[in-house]
Amino acid sequence: MKHLYKFLILIVLLSSFNLVKAQDESKLNISGDLLTDQRFLLNTDNDWAWNENRLTLKFDKKITSSSKFYSEIWLRNMGLPSAAHMSDLYNKGIIDPYNLEIRELYIQMYGFLFDNLDVTIGRQRIVWGTADKLNPTDNLNPLDLEDILDFGRRRGSDAINLNYYFNSDFSLQAVYIPFFQPANLPVGIFANALFPEMELPNGMTLKGFSDTLLTPGYNLAESSTAALKFKGFVRGVDFSLSYVWGYDGLPYSSRNVLIPIDMAGGIKINSQLSFIRTHIFGVDMATSIAGIGFWAEAALFMPEKDVIMVNDLSAIYGMPVTIDSLLIDKGKPYLKFIIGGDYNFADGSYFNLQYMHGFIHERGNEELNDYFFMRYEKKFFSEKLRFAPVGGGFIVTDWSDLKNNYALAYIPEIGYKATDDAEIIVSAAIFDGKGDNLFAQLKDYSMFMFKLKYSF
Amino acid sequence: MKNKIKLGLLIALIASGSMFSANAQDANDILKKMDAVMYSPKDMTGKNKIILIDKTGKEEVREATIQQKGNNKRMFRFTSPSSQAGIAVLSLPDDVMYLYLPAFGKERRIATSAKNQNFAGTDFSYDDMESKPFAEKYTPKFVKVEGDVFVLELTPIGKSEYSKVIVGVNKTNYYPVSTEIYDKGNNKIKQAKYTFKKVGNYWNAEEIEMTDLKKNHKTKMQMSEIKYDSGLSDDDFTVRKLKQ
Repeated sequence: MKHLYKFLILIVLLSSFNLVKAQDESKLNISGDLLTDQRFLLNTDNDWAWNENRLTLKFDKKITSSSKFYSEIWLRNMGLPSAAHMSDLYNKGIIDPYNLEIRELYIQMYGFLFDNLDVTIGRQRIVWGTADKLNPTDNLNPLDLEDILDFGRRRGSDAINLNYYFNSDFSLQAVYIPFFQPANLPVGIFANALFPEMELPNGMTLKGFSDTLLTPGYNLAESSTAALKFKGFVRGVDFSLSYVWGYDGLPYSSRNVLIPIDMAGGIKINSQLSFIRTHIFGVDMATSIAGIGFWAEAALFMPEKDVIMVNDLSAIYGMPVTIDSLLIDKGKPYLKFIIGGDYNFADGSYFNLQYMHGFIHERGNEELNDYFFMRYEKKFFSEKLRFAPVGGGFIVTDWSDLKNNYALAYIPEIGYKATDDAEIIVSAAIFDGKGDNLFAQLKDYSMFMFKLKYSF
Repeated sequence: MKNKIKLGLLIALIASGSMFSANAQDANDILKKMDAVMYSPKDMTGKNKIILIDKTGKEEVREATIQQKGNNKRMFRFTSPSSQAGIAVLSLPDDVMYLYLPAFGKERRIATSAKNQNFAGTDFSYDDMESKPFAEKYTPKFVKVEGDVFVLELTPIGKSEYSKVIVGVNKTNYYPVSTEIYDKGNNKIKQAKYTFKKVGNYWNAEEIEMTDLKKNHKTKMQMSEIKYDSGLSDDDFTVRKLKQ
């Protein structure tokens, strides 16, 4: 263990030495964008659904010919004023909510120690997978589910990332993330979109709820994530094989204690939630055949132990009574996968179709649903105007009873580049469906969306 | 008499056959010489200024760096405007292309159908940008000599969006001076003008002006800070480099 620490310190020292040595070799580039993202519901009152004003700052410095520094920071005014009491008016954070977020901050060294080794140290986004935005093998960074419509968004992780290139076609990547970071959940109207309503025994009414989140202990054995990926290119096909020893960033309910609080069946639940150590084996590929781009990606998730939820009814019955439910059997790993393709037509239009089995929040073979995502767009006026009349997804949760178990998300979009640096995007998200699935739960939240992004 | 007529016809046929053959041979030679002028450097690096001009004359400027090795490896990286800075395209042999978008943090394999598309809002398609020798893409036919220029008609050998390309080749130095591009309906859809300048031992396309005749839109590509044969290796044209 001591050797590992020494090694880490050595790497940091060497990188900081390089930083100082070459400080003047290149200037610090500052770029970024200013984004406003406004959404309101298409219901009668047109309630505001989303208000985000984000300044993204990117700092990029080529330190030497073989190293660089990069950082991306978000400064955001997010959400709507939520003052409910007079005292809240003394709190600027409530009246005018904003936050600062370091998305990435790392040093990258090329040819470090060995000519063929690239090392990246610091907070970084490590993107895996060949599919378009929805990647079952992309499991190193914690999910950023804040905006449920921004599929595939993840936060950066503090990591050491080594890439060894055997030659131009084959490479091996090793990643070590010392600290576990859980996913952050959707906010605003999307807050409950990912979780089904709690089912209670007949005659019981939920009157109170509290929970305790059990995070892994912060030591090398418990909180670490480690991963390997072998990447190659053979006969026109890009492929990779990967393995992640990490955590499922969304917690499972591991113990629920039901406590009666009145004689009319009212109960309070104290829930314990925990994160499950998971082995993830991944494979992906991408190629182009007859002009059509093809990709496929699959990840096999194997929890290290059975995931069991214990419902403790002892307080109700006055004697020890527990009911165990097996949520995921460690002997029955579940497979998420996606296949897709795209094509560019001669008239400048573009078509993209993907079929996915198992969305980011779904776990266990029985819980994985089928998703079809499609997008068709065409650009006009020298690519200034982008029109996507077809966009969105179709979900099937039960093929045997399709009419009661489906959802549709229709998301058409128009983007206009007023200048090279400024783009206006107007879109809508129309949700419909039946049954227990992600987009069907959003059917009361169809919305109009407006974005303006200025890059500098 | 009859025999004389037959002999005359035979001579005429042989003569026209030889002429046709000579012209075809000339056309092949001219095209090969043009390819030799365009693709003779072992490698090239430089800066590329792209000026987009719409029908009202309004201009937009984009800048990029370009690296090329041989005639089938190329790295193109935008440096401005801010909205596009960092976007890079790596072209490799056998139509393998990767796009790197900094916002996504990973490379993406591009479907070869993208070759039909305009490159980054310019009037050049990915296909036009390809540095594959013309002699490998087209069958040439000699058309005429016009002043200092040989005029050739090129017919695509493989699948193409074009029916033919008329290319003008400088008689003395064999660099192209103009191209006219025709669609499948034989309509002239684009035309390009080339300005060549000698840099060291090589002729360099200092400016290419491509006009889309349908859209009445122009793109000027200006090369600067050109360096030839600086010793770029195959390792400079890898996904590893694309992401750096």
